[in-house]
Amino acid sequence: MWVRFVLGLLMTVVCLGIAGRRAFFLYRVGQKFQPLEAERRVDAGSAVRAEVAEVAFQRKLLRWTVPGVAHFLVFWGFMILLFTIVEAFIGLVKADFQIPIVGNFAWFGFIEDLFALLCVLALVVFTILRIQQAPKNLGRRSRFFGSHIGPAWFVLFMIFNVVWTLLAYRGASINAQELHDPANADKMGFLHGAFASQWFAAILPKTNVEFWETFFLLLSLGVLLGFTVFVTYSKHMHIFASIPNVAFARRPRALGALEPVFWQGKKIDFEDPGDDDVMGVGKVEDFTWKGLLDFATCTECGRCQSQCPAWNTDKPLSPKVLIMGLRDHSLAKAPYLLAAKNEAGEVPEGGIPEAAAAEAAKPLVGPQGDESAHVGEHGITGEGVIPFDMLWSCTTCGACVEQCPVDIEHVDHIVDMRRYQVLMEGAFPEEAGIMLNNVEHAGDPWGLGRSKRLEWAESLDFELRVYEGDKIPDDVEYLYWVGCAGALDDTAKRTARAVATLLHEAGVEFMVLGEAESCTGDPARRMGHEFLFQMLAMQNVEVLNEAGAKRIVVTCAHCYNTLANEYPQVGGHYEVVHHTTLLARLVADKRLTPVQRVDAAVTYHDPCYLGRHNRIFAAPREVLGAIPGTQVQEMPRNREKSFCCGAGGARMWMDENLGERINQNRADEALATKPDIVAAACPFCITMLSDGVAQRQQEGTAATTVAVTDVSEVLLRSVRPDLVDSLSASS
Amino acid sequence: MKIVVLVKYVPEPTATWKFAPDLTVDRAGVEGRLSELDEYAVEQAAQLAEKGVASEVVFLTVGPAKAAEGLRKALAIGGDKAVHVLDDAIHGSCALSTSLVLAKALEKEGYDLVLAGMASTDAELSVVPSMVADRLGINQATFAGELSVDGGAVTIRRDSDVASEKVTAALPAIVSVTDQTGEARYPAFKAIMGAKKKPITTWSLADLGVDASAVGLGAASVRTVDVSPTPARTAGTIVTDDGEGAAQLAGFLADRGFI
Repeated sequence: MWVRFVLGLLMTVVCLGIAGRRAFFLYRVGQKFQPLEAERRVDAGSAVRAEVAEVAFQRKLLRWTVPGVAHFLVFWGFMILLFTIVEAFIGLVKADFQIPIVGNFAWFGFIEDLFALLCVLALVVFTILRIQQAPKNLGRRSRFFGSHIGPAWFVLFMIFNVVWTLLAYRGASINAQELHDPANADKMGFLHGAFASQWFAAILPKTNVEFWETFFLLLSLGVLLGFTVFVTYSKHMHIFASIPNVAFARRPRALGALEPVFWQGKKIDFEDPGDDDVMGVGKVEDFTWKGLLDFATCTECGRCQSQCPAWNTDKPLSPKVLIMGLRDHSLAKAPYLLAAKNEAGEVPEGGIPEAAAAEAAKPLVGPQGDESAHVGEHGITGEGVIPFDMLWSCTTCGACVEQCPVDIEHVDHIVDMRRYQVLMEGAFPEEAGIMLNNVEHAGDPWGLGRSKRLEWAESLDFELRVYEGDKIPDDVEYLYWVGCAGALDDTAKRTARAVATLLHEAGVEFMVLGEAESCTGDPARRMGHEFLFQMLAMQNVEVLNEAGAKRIVVTCAHCYNTLANEYPQVGGHYEVVHHTTLLARLVADKRLTPVQRVDAAVTYHDPCYLGRHNRIFAAPREVLGAIPGTQVQEMPRNREKSFCCGAGGARMWMDENLGERINQNRADEALATKPDIVAAACPFCITMLSDGVAQRQQEGTAATTVAVTDVSEVLLRSVRPDLVDSLSASS
Repeated sequence: MKIVVLVKYVPEPTATWKFAPDLTVDRAGVEGRLSELDEYAVEQAAQLAEKGVASEVVFLTVGPAKAAEGLRKALAIGGDKAVHVLDDAIHGSCALSTSLVLAKALEKEGYDLVLAGMASTDAELSVVPSMVADRLGINQATFAGELSVDGGAVTIRRDSDVASEKVTAALPAIVSVTDQTGEARYPAFKAIMGAKKKPITTWSLADLGVDASAVGLGAASVRTVDVSPTPARTAGTIVTDDGEGAAQLAGFLADRGFI
C-alpha cells in the first residue's frame, strides 16, 4: 500500500508542480499586459448566465450538431469522470474509498461508466471528423488548416487513455475487493452499476489482484497527470482558460459597438491625451490580459476560419491563425517581458535567450508589401508578427466572434491593432486615406460635401421637412437619418426616396437634417481612426442633442450600429430604429397596405451590421413576406451565419486585390437560389451585391432581369406601384 | 537649404459658401481647410527634408485667425515651424496685394527655395507664385510635376499637352507644384499631436512694414460687383430606346454641332 502511496504522491507532486509552475509563469506574463478597460465591468449575473449557457450547456458548440454533441459528451464525460478521479486519488491511501452518499448507489457507478463510454464514442466521432476534414484532403477549406494537427491527435489519444485506464483501474478494484476481501466487497456500492468497469474486471487476471489494482491506479493517475502537464503547455489549455475567458467576455457579445481606446485601463481623452499614452496595440503586451487569455483559450477548432469572408475568398486572414500567431508570439516574447529592464527600459544584452530577443524586436504588424509575409498551413511568416494584409483584410463582419465557442474577441483585437497603425504610425492601405480626408473635410466618404445632401429628395411628390437649426417640432415622430449613401450614392438615393415615400404614405411625420448631417464615423472607427470617429461623433451628437432628437430612423446598417450602440459612449442617447423594423411595424399596424402583387422570388441577404451585430433578422423578412406574390428565399449562409458582402470594416474604401472578391462570392451564393430580386437592407451591401450580380450578367451566367435592391423598394412596388418609375430615375 | 512653403487656408470647396455684405466669402459660415493643392507642396517640402536636402522647412500663410489650423495640418505632415501673417486690414485683398504681403514676409523670414501649390482651390488664379517671384526678383518655375534640388539649382518637370519640359532654375527660386508630385501623406495622430508643439509666429502688417492702405478690399485691383448662386443644373434629356434610340441620340448631338 505504501509503495503506491509514495509513487502516487511523487507523480502528483511532480506533475502538479510542473503544471503549477507553468500556470504561475502564464500569470506573470499576463501581468505584463495592460489592465482591463475601466468600462469592462464584469457583471456577475450575466457572467454566471454565460457560464451556464456556454460552458455547462455548450450553447455555441451545439450550433454545429455533430461536433457539438461530441464535445458536449467529452465535456460532461470529464465532469462526471472528476468523481472517478477523486475516487482514484483517495484510492491511493484508502483502497475501498467511495464518495459519501452517492457512492453507495449502483446507478452512480452506472452513470460514471456510461459517460466514460460516451466520451469514447465522442472520440470516435472526433477521429472521423478529423480524418474527413483533414487539411491534406480539403486544403484551405478545412477548418483545421493552420491548426496544430499533431497535438490535436495527441489530445484525442490522451483522453482515450485517461478513460480506459480509469475504467481498468476500477475493474482491477472490483477484482481486488471481490477476490481479496469479499466480506468488504459491498463497501463500494457504486461499482455494482459500473458495467464497463466490470468488463475490465472480467478480462483482467484474477491473480495478483492487488498488484493490478495498484498498477492501473498509478497508470491512470500517471496518464491523467501527464495530460494535465501537456494541457498547460498546449492549445488544450481551453479546458481551464475558457471558464475565466467566458466570464470576462464582453456581454451580450463582442459585436455591435466597438470599445473606445484605452491605455492603462483608462479611456484616452483625444482632446488632451497624455504624452506617453499609446493609442491602440503596437506591441503584443499593449493588449489587456484578457487579450492574452483569449489567445491562450483558443483551441484551434477553426469555426471562425470556416466562416471568415476573408479566408473563404483566399485572403491571408484567418481569425484562428491570427489568434494563434499572437499567442505564439506572446509566449516566445515572454522571457523578454519578464526580464529585468535597465533604466532605459531595455533588457541588458545577453539577459535573455537570443530567440526571445529576436521575437521582442519583431514589429507586431509587418510592413506593406512584405514579400516574405505568408499565412499558411504552418502559421505565419514575415517581418511582422501579423502581416500587413492579414490585418487589413478584415471586414469586421463578426462571423468569427459569433462562432467562437469560448468568446474570443477577434474583431476588437484587430481594430486595436489597426488603431495603433493608423494613429501612431500612419500606416494603412493608402487608398483609404482618400476616404478619411473626404470624411474629415466634406463630411462624407465620397467627398461630395454637405451642399449635395438634399439632392436625393428632389423628385419626391411631397414636401420633405428639413431641419433648419431650431428644435425639432413636437409633431415630428422620427428624425430620418439619411446617411451619406442615402444622400449621395445614386442607388442608395432610390432607397432613401422609397423610405421617405413609404413613411409619408403611412402618415408618419418625419424630418431630415439635410446639410446638418454628416458621416457617423463608422468607416473611420472600423479602420482604427478613433480620433476622427470621436470628432464626427461629438459633432453629430451635438447637432442631434441641440435639435432635441429622440427617435431616429436609419436606412444604413452601419449608421444604425453607430447611432444606436456607439453614440451613447459620447453622450448621444436616442431610440434608434432601422427602417426595416419601422416598415414591418407600419405594415403590421395596417398603416401601409401592400396592394400590388410582386410575383418574384426574393432572396434576402442579412447585412452583418444589421443581423449579426444587431440581431435584426425578422423585420426585413416580415416586410418581404407581407407583400403579396413574393416568395422569400434563403441562402445557405443566412442570419447569424450570413456571409459578408465585403464592404464592412472600411473595406468599402480599400482595394481588394487578394484572392476572390468577397462580393462575387456572396452574389454567386445569392444567384444560386435563382432569385428575381436580391434584397438587402444596407446601401453598402446593395452596392457590393449589385456589382457581383452585374459581373455575372455581363458574363451571361445570370439572368439580366435579376435586380439587387433594398427591402423598402420592394415594398414600394406593392404599396405605391405608380411611383416606382419616378422615384427610381437617377437624379 | 531653407524652404518656405506658401500655404492657403481655403473655404471647404464642397460646402455651401455664403457671402458677407461686402461680397467676400463669409468665412465664419463655412468650414476651412488647408488647400488640397497646397498639400502637394507641403509633402514635397517634407520629402526634401527627409532626404536631407532641406535643413529647415517653414510654412507661411496669410489669412484669418483660423488659418492657423491650416498651418497645424501642414506641420502634421512635416516641417519645423510656421509663420502666420494676420491682420484685419488684409481682409478682401486681391492676388496682387496678397503677393505683396507674402513677398515682404519671405524677405523677413529668409529662404533659399519657395514652394507653392499650383493654384488655390477657392480663387484658382495660379498667379501668386509668379507675382511673388516678380516682387522678389527671383527665378520661378511653375507647374512642376516633379522636382529635385541639386547644388544651387532646382530642376522641375513641367508637363503640357504637347511636351514634357525639364526646367532648371538657380536658387533662390519659387516653384509651384501640381498634383502629379504625389499625394500628401495622411498624418498619424501622433504627428498631429507633435504639430501642436511646433512654433507658429504671428506677424502683423506693421511687423512687415506694409502700409495697411496697400492691401485689403479697398486696395483690391478687382472689385466684385454682384454675387448670385449658380443656377441649378437643368435635367438632361432622357432618350428611351424604342428602336429609334440611336437615331435620336445622333440627332441630339447633331443639333448641337457635336457631330
